[in-house]
Amino acid sequence: MLKKIGLVAVLAALISVVVATTAWGSAKAPRAAAAATASVKCGKRVSIGVAYPATGGVAFLGALQFDWAKTALSRWNGSHKLKIKLVQGDTQLTTNAAANLAVAHSFASNGKVLAVTGPAGSQEVQDSAGVYKGAGLAPVSGSATRIFLTRSKPGNTRETAKGFFYRTVPNDGQQGDAVANYIHKNLNKKRIYIIDDEEAYSQGLADQVQQDLKNVGINASRNHVAQNVSDFSSLIAAIPSNTQLVYIPWQQAAEAQTFASQLHANGKNAIVMGSDGIDAPGQFKTPGSYVSGFPVDATNPVYKSFTKAHKGQPEAFGLPTYTSIWANATAIKMACKAGHGKTTRSAVRKDLLKVKLNASQSLLGFPVQFLNKNKSTFQGPGDMGGTADFAIYKISKNGTYTRVK
Amino acid sequence: MHPLLFSVVDNIRSLGWGGAFQLLRNGLVLGSLYALIALGYTMIYGILKLLNFAHGDVYMVGAFLGYGILTRLNGPLNLAIGIVPAIALMFAVAMAGSGVLGVAIERFAYRPLRNAPRIAPLITAIGVSFFLENSVQLLTNGFQYTYDPFELGKTGNEELGPLYHTVFSVAGNPVTTVQLLVVGSALFLMTALVLLVSRTRFGKSMRATAYDREAASMMGIDTDRVIAMTFFIASMLAGAAGVMFGLYLGVTYYFMGFLAGLKAFTAAVIGGIGSIPGAMLGGLIIGLVESFAIGYVGGQWSDIVIFGLFILFMLFRPRGLLGSRAIQKV
Amino acid sequence: MSDQSNTPVPDPPDAEAQTRIGVDSWVAESEDRQARKRGFFGPAARGWDASPDPVKLFLFIAVAGTIPFWMNEGDLFVYGLFTVLYATLGLGLNVVVGFAGLLDLGYVAYFGIGAYGYALVSSDHYGIHWPTLASLPAVMVFTGLIGLGLGLTSRRLVGDYFAIVTLFFLQAFLVFTNTANPVIHGIGLTGGSSGIGNLDPLEFFGYSLTSVKQQYYFFLLVLVLATAGLYFANRSRTGRAWRALREDPLAAEVMSIPVNRLKRLAIVMGAALAGLCGAIFAAIQTAVTSSNFTLNVLIFIFAVVILGGIGSIAGPILGAIVINVSFQFLQPQNDHPSIKRWLFYGAIVLFIALMKPWYRAVVVLVGTVAFGLAVHAIVSATAAASWTAGTVTDAGSGSAGKAIADWVVIPNQTLHGGFATYAYIGLVVLVCVVRSVTGWWRTVVLIPTLYMAAVVWENVLAPNPAVTAEILFGVLLIVIMTVRPQGLIGTARVEII
Repeated sequence: MLKKIGLVAVLAALISVVVATTAWGSAKAPRAAAAATASVKCGKRVSIGVAYPATGGVAFLGALQFDWAKTALSRWNGSHKLKIKLVQGDTQLTTNAAANLAVAHSFASNGKVLAVTGPAGSQEVQDSAGVYKGAGLAPVSGSATRIFLTRSKPGNTRETAKGFFYRTVPNDGQQGDAVANYIHKNLNKKRIYIIDDEEAYSQGLADQVQQDLKNVGINASRNHVAQNVSDFSSLIAAIPSNTQLVYIPWQQAAEAQTFASQLHANGKNAIVMGSDGIDAPGQFKTPGSYVSGFPVDATNPVYKSFTKAHKGQPEAFGLPTYTSIWANATAIKMACKAGHGKTTRSAVRKDLLKVKLNASQSLLGFPVQFLNKNKSTFQGPGDMGGTADFAIYKISKNGTYTRVK
Repeated sequence: MHPLLFSVVDNIRSLGWGGAFQLLRNGLVLGSLYALIALGYTMIYGILKLLNFAHGDVYMVGAFLGYGILTRLNGPLNLAIGIVPAIALMFAVAMAGSGVLGVAIERFAYRPLRNAPRIAPLITAIGVSFFLENSVQLLTNGFQYTYDPFELGKTGNEELGPLYHTVFSVAGNPVTTVQLLVVGSALFLMTALVLLVSRTRFGKSMRATAYDREAASMMGIDTDRVIAMTFFIASMLAGAAGVMFGLYLGVTYYFMGFLAGLKAFTAAVIGGIGSIPGAMLGGLIIGLVESFAIGYVGGQWSDIVIFGLFILFMLFRPRGLLGSRAIQKV
Repeated sequence: MSDQSNTPVPDPPDAEAQTRIGVDSWVAESEDRQARKRGFFGPAARGWDASPDPVKLFLFIAVAGTIPFWMNEGDLFVYGLFTVLYATLGLGLNVVVGFAGLLDLGYVAYFGIGAYGYALVSSDHYGIHWPTLASLPAVMVFTGLIGLGLGLTSRRLVGDYFAIVTLFFLQAFLVFTNTANPVIHGIGLTGGSSGIGNLDPLEFFGYSLTSVKQQYYFFLLVLVLATAGLYFANRSRTGRAWRALREDPLAAEVMSIPVNRLKRLAIVMGAALAGLCGAIFAAIQTAVTSSNFTLNVLIFIFAVVILGGIGSIAGPILGAIVINVSFQFLQPQNDHPSIKRWLFYGAIVLFIALMKPWYRAVVVLVGTVAFGLAVHAIVSATAAASWTAGTVTDAGSGSAGKAIADWVVIPNQTLHGGFATYAYIGLVVLVCVVRSVTGWWRTVVLIPTLYMAAVVWENVLAPNPAVTAEILFGVLLIVIMTVRPQGLIGTARVEII
């Protein structure tokens, strides 16, 4: 239908609009070096950048995280005078360096972005740390759990700069410890089989639990399965029949449910234990299984309304994103107040250390305040201090989660 | 490499005969699914010489259609009608829906490119695949849905629904209803297809069009209609495979078509692309290889084994097991 | 064609774009060549055609070189650097697909091998730190050798089979780097799903390329060199032999052109260029992960080459500019939601405006607006209030936002979740119907289709910009192939029977 000139004309028009917009935006945005201290008015378009996987293999997790972020924002805007907007950044898969860096650069050059929530994956945090630091931003991640992001250990240096990364989720060390302790001390199981889903989150947790169990003399077997495989029958055939507990730190609750059902249908009656990635009462509901998750207060009105809006299927993996947005917003508010209506990125970043949320504000079940130095075995500057820890839930016959630790 | 070989031998020994039977059983079930999808690839290639990358996504749409019917019938746990009519309805709707989708894709994306250079319909196929995957992602928010096959149609206090009842056992290893259902329906559909192609007049016109499209149209065959029907049948089979997958394993999400499509595609090529019995054979082979590879070699290397085997196969017998040698016309 | 307006037989709708069978390509282009380019762009187009090639390259360098001066760093990274990257990759793919006629679906694996190769010799992973002047050529040679290995199979494999083998090679590469990750010398070779991080930046004679601007200029230099190199290759004997091979391999072989050697040469050159891009890309990112080399990226590169025009040298560059700029602009982090909205509506209006004759365009425009208002009124009057209670994303309560909310039916999302699915499917069906009917029926059906497009945009697409970009991408591929398979600058190819 379109003749040749028409097609070219349309394309030329579209491209020129894009170029013009970019040029105008670029010209107005501060240069990178000055971005950290550029003064921004706390008016209508103060924004928090949200870096999450909106498309790609783990898009459903990203969608959940973003849902929580939207919930946080609408609650904030509804109860505070300072209105904030969200800018979405699609980091695609959890380890797509190109998209991740593109998002980091976009946020860096967007003068209205004063704080960042995300990125979702630990590797992404490490890869984009340099860009964010150069722009004066401190990302607050709701799901990057690698220990070395906030703590250095012999053989591993700290992967982000101090003061330029925070997280509202307890790290692998804390979760792995909680799980290993429960398996060893409370359940008293000795024949353990660990299966990771070949993603960084899963491997980190699996490694930690395997190491912890080894330290108390339990040699757990280890296997892997690709994340989107649904036919576990061959994998199950390889699991010895005398296995007492199978630990699956996966991210897809539906897959975990299928796995557990197949396992039992094949006559292997091991207990299945999962991580916070499959802490999803509507989807992972095999009776007798365990899950580690946040000690969320189920009577919290925000949690209840989120569950209702999602057709009765609550989900906790994205919860820390809510906390992250709230922490960022609180920091922005503090900085704006101190600057009398104007503030800079470095002021917001410094105010993150002053943020104090109580248990019902953070929604995580414990109060939140960021650390400025090392604490106990696994926590470092940027981790949450206080009583941040994981809870263990047991799934009863009708699928409800009961907290047992 | 040495430790790898050791662990393979170790696995074989520890799994024993019982384990081997389980792997065989799983491989047959999986292989039937791959065979159904591979048939679609092979039929479309045979008739249009086109590698239809979007075929895997038709399979995915079929699975979602089945899921849609399931929710209309009040979900896996409180079925409004009995389980047998429910499954029949799911099959019917999914097959019809995927068939229509396939015909639409052919009509609007491929037909204008009948005479274009070979790369054009290939790129369009990739574009269609991209479009389907992302549309479903958009509409489902990337969420994973499940047919709940273990609970489907559960009555009373039994632990597993009727789909997972044991029909018979071999040395203590159960064979369940759903496994027989999948293999049985796949066999039924494949037999029906073979009969259609070899015994009916329509099948004859399909074979004629595949052999030489221009000559066939000169002999009075309406090639457009034949091609449309081919797409319909091929997509119907893929839709059926989608529902079967849902009933067997339950998980349905927007990206499931990609990997399944790739493996089914391998199957079609190994069997000889363009050959219908070849696709069936290829599907079974791939299913068995995958099952045994996961069981004996371990999750990390099984995919590499499959792909490596495939590349070697292509080097030494590119026309596949049952394919005909490609003749270059001058 | 316009001087046939007094004949009763109408033009076939896509006559220009369809391949003409049995006509020599030189003859097919002769009409284009003889007609003086008219119209608004006439003088510019004629000037462009008349200028010698080095001038065109110089113009390009001049324009591209000034970009860092008005773009800030973040935008330069996203719009500038990635465009140059895809342009270079497109050039390499063009050698394999456009010059030698081989459908290589595993091209992005060379890109990945180059990146991982660089990562292994320039990082703390194994503690090897080669100087850039050594690592870049080494990576190129290594990737070229792998390409050669794959090319040695092309002797046995014809056309489609080669495509299949390369596709599987790509999958094997992805599985190898992401999952298999064999343990060599104590640690996993490829770093598994986390990849390899902390790579050394590019360094030449003590001068490190660490800022985006420096990296951009370096990559631009590589692009220019590659362009020049391919230009000369194209004009040489080898280039002519490649073109013969592409058009008809059997005839070329009969004419004693060493077909297999040329195929292998094309593959090796394409692979080496991709490997070089991979190494530079890895150094810029300072990390490499397998998810940067998936099928999505391959499709992106293919789209770049195809949109630009297979076989032409300027084609991939133009294609990269158009595709990367639009794609990145549509990404959610480029925060201009109201502009995206006006682009969408603007595109619709432009589409209507290009319809001939002019009264048809007016009918469609007026009809769509009226139809929308009517539907909105009916829905507000008959259905519950929640059916029109939704809000327009990111347009606030300004007059534009209100106008749209009064025209498009936007139901409350949480209460009517299924609406989005049905509207979307309805739109696809309507588009199919429009394509099937002709004449005045087409005009009539176009009206509800355009309205439905607006409904779907406001309800489904605008709130999910990331996925929308991907969908538009897929649609773009389909539309290009149907409307103009030779791309923007390519020449219409002819199938000789």
